[in-house]
Amino acid sequence: MKQKLKPFALLLILSSILFSCTKNETNIEAPVTAITVRDLPADTVLGINAVSGMPFSAGKYTFYSLERNSIVPNTDSASTKWDLAFAGTKILTNGGTSGKGLGGAFIYTGLFDGLKTIANDSVFKTDNAPASFAVTFGSGKGWYLYDQLTSLITPLAGRILVIKTATGKYAKLEIINYYKGGVTLPTTATDMEKASKQRYYTFRFAYQSNGTKTF
Amino acid sequence: MVFGQKEMVKDTLFANGDSVVVTATRSERKLSNITVPVTIINAKTIQQNGSLRLTDILREQTGLTLTSGFGAGVQLQGLNPDYTIILINGEPLVGRTAGVLDLNRISLGNVKKIEIVKGPSSSLYGSEAMAGVINIITDASTSIPLQASLRYGTYNTLDANVNNTMASKTVFYQGFYNYYNTDGYSIRPNSNNRVTTPINRVTTSQQFKYNVSDNTTLVFNTRLTDENIKSNITVSNGGVSINSNGNEHNTDINLAGTLNHRFSNTLKTSFRSYLTNYISSQDLLTLSGAPYNDLLNHLFQRVENQTDWTLSKTLSGIFGAGAVWEGVKSSRYDSEKVRKNNTIQYGFTQWEWNPISKLILIGGVRFDQNAQYASAWSPKLSMLYKINPQHKIKLSIGQGFKAPDFRQLYLDFTNAAAGNYSVFGSAEAQKVIGQLNSLGQIGALYSNFYLLKSLQPESSIGIHLSWDCEPNQKTFISVQVFRNDIKNLIQVEQVGSYVSGAQIFSYLNIGRAFTQGVELETKYHINQQWSWSGGYQYIITGDKDQITQINNGTVYTRDANGYSKKLTLSDYLGLPNISKHKAQFKINYLTTNGLFANFRMVYRSRWAVNNINGNDVYDSGDTFAAGYVSLHTSVGKDYNNGISLQLGCDNISNYIDALNLSNLPGRTFFATIKFQKAQKHKV
Repeated sequence: MKQKLKPFALLLILSSILFSCTKNETNIEAPVTAITVRDLPADTVLGINAVSGMPFSAGKYTFYSLERNSIVPNTDSASTKWDLAFAGTKILTNGGTSGKGLGGAFIYTGLFDGLKTIANDSVFKTDNAPASFAVTFGSGKGWYLYDQLTSLITPLAGRILVIKTATGKYAKLEIINYYKGGVTLPTTATDMEKASKQRYYTFRFAYQSNGTKTF
Repeated sequence: MVFGQKEMVKDTLFANGDSVVVTATRSERKLSNITVPVTIINAKTIQQNGSLRLTDILREQTGLTLTSGFGAGVQLQGLNPDYTIILINGEPLVGRTAGVLDLNRISLGNVKKIEIVKGPSSSLYGSEAMAGVINIITDASTSIPLQASLRYGTYNTLDANVNNTMASKTVFYQGFYNYYNTDGYSIRPNSNNRVTTPINRVTTSQQFKYNVSDNTTLVFNTRLTDENIKSNITVSNGGVSINSNGNEHNTDINLAGTLNHRFSNTLKTSFRSYLTNYISSQDLLTLSGAPYNDLLNHLFQRVENQTDWTLSKTLSGIFGAGAVWEGVKSSRYDSEKVRKNNTIQYGFTQWEWNPISKLILIGGVRFDQNAQYASAWSPKLSMLYKINPQHKIKLSIGQGFKAPDFRQLYLDFTNAAAGNYSVFGSAEAQKVIGQLNSLGQIGALYSNFYLLKSLQPESSIGIHLSWDCEPNQKTFISVQVFRNDIKNLIQVEQVGSYVSGAQIFSYLNIGRAFTQGVELETKYHINQQWSWSGGYQYIITGDKDQITQINNGTVYTRDANGYSKKLTLSDYLGLPNISKHKAQFKINYLTTNGLFANFRMVYRSRWAVNNINGNDVYDSGDTFAAGYVSLHTSVGKDYNNGISLQLGCDNISNYIDALNLSNLPGRTFFATIKFQKAQKHKV
């Protein structure tokens, strides 16, 4: 019985996709799947200044399109092609003072899978440099915690970035790790290691292409 | 205490015998009649273990754990160093940094015994005696006119002691001198940054007793500790390390005068006056030449009277009253020139009743009132029931408190090195932040800012139940269960922010916590020469508000994939820096011809040190210090001509954890030679 069921189920799914395509109804839910992005570099450290002891970097954002799940070249920074921009712990959205788009965000406390629908009364903040940002900067205020003792950055658990993209679509995103390879360094790692392996984002996101607030 | 009295502690199988305990009741009581959990460490144990500083010996006690950071403090039954009062001959030591009194300050050279009372003891000692009391009692015996010792060990550690006594029928003098010097040590690989930097420390104490009459004695005690610590500090912030070099200089002065008078066999009184001043200054220069100075000056003066009255063979009581004048100057307050003051008045009474010979009941209460924070009542009830000569049951319930300290009241500190955040003590926070607000510097005030008012003392209720058993002449077993419920914990919380976004913190009474556990102690004499002893503590702790949040499902952690999940109580670890299991074991060898040897083992299971997953709750996803075992041994011989020799090795297996155990150097060796002028046998 079980073996016979499988092709039947597949047929059902295929037909439903075909059906929805032919009818071209926008309010039918497109399948939203979670995508994991690993080791997205975000203005990574190039070296440590011998005089000041400060790590230095190129100072450039990495622009990212959630719609296409790819990095957007910096030459397109003044477009609506990107949704998020990453540099160190800073995350910009494409809107307000940061871009031409309709982008914004807010931080939802809860679980990634638990966020099924963005509440209608939710307020998306927009970037308003330098006073405030949609994804608040600073340890403990936004998405991460910086430990002064160990100099390590840890993404806060149970914090979901709810994002309005440059084109006004919605996405949810959970940052998993900030270090290369997706593993937070041991507290005993050297300062050099901590500097060179940080600023590599691992995150998962779900992008709703149909414009609804439901995932 | 009657002058010249020689304590006849019988050399029973158990080293403590039926010795006299003073700390538990503020009067001399035989250990066998004490109603609360007490540990006694005598001079012989200290000497045979080769312990130099108070930290060395406390490390090996059941229920006690050493803490690192701001010097070496002691955690008692899971409560932080802030909650244990440290006394020398019944007078408190002051000079705490972030609540920790550095126990390395205390030399054990002339210590007769250390009494540790577990459980809230504020009914007798007031503030700080919330977890318990550690009372260091110096040797006031006249039996040894001169004693000198010299010890040398790893890291060029030199410790020299001289102790001399002179006594006539009416006058007694004792002088103690200790010189300690060490190069310090570095246990950080690939780093020239030392964990403990060179220390030079001198301690001296003098005791004068004058027998005015058979019933009246005058006692003066002085103590001075002066230490110089070469500092080489590296502060890391945001990946930037700043090296500073300089000196730390700490002076601790204690002066105590006591007049004892015995009106009759049933009525005696003592007047005590005490002054102590702890002055700590740190002068550092960063490599770029920027100075960093930090000053702390804590002055504490107290007068006190205690009267002991024996009404009948079954009923006796004590009454006491006193006053404290206390003040602190610190460069971390608004001005280091102005001393912040507090005065405290207190009274206490305690009654002991033994209706039948098997039962002792003790009840007491103390009231503390002061100018700066809410007053406190501290009642305590305890009982001892001797089921038969082999079995005893002790039960005590008491309330303890810890007053807000000067830091929590007056701190005025802005950290320019780390984001310009500020911390203001609660007594002045509203005023100071209000002024900043009128200058337009405040960006936001949180609702808790308006709750800032005079702090309540932190308080706890502790229950201790223990069963002592001596089934035969060779065996001793003690089992103890305890629980402490703490409320009004004073914690730092953000109350607002500057226009720049930098945070502003102050202190509020917000926390509720508990600790509970079991302690087990055993001693067994295999034969005349060999014996062993062991101790074990299991402890569970928790923050009650965090437990509520976890039950409400609002605390998150991460699963193996790094995805957030709701934290469950099974992942919750309770308070940080607490090892669930702690154990120690000792094998002792002692012959009648003076040869002694021992081998000791201390075990501590892992403990949470750092909340890295950002949920403010310590859980299995956080950073731990690994559990460890340290091994120690010492062997020596006391010769009949008064000379003794001793060799020892601490941390034999060379266990090192530079990050979490800065108080545990690697393997060290020492050799001691000691001379005692022939003892006067005048019994």
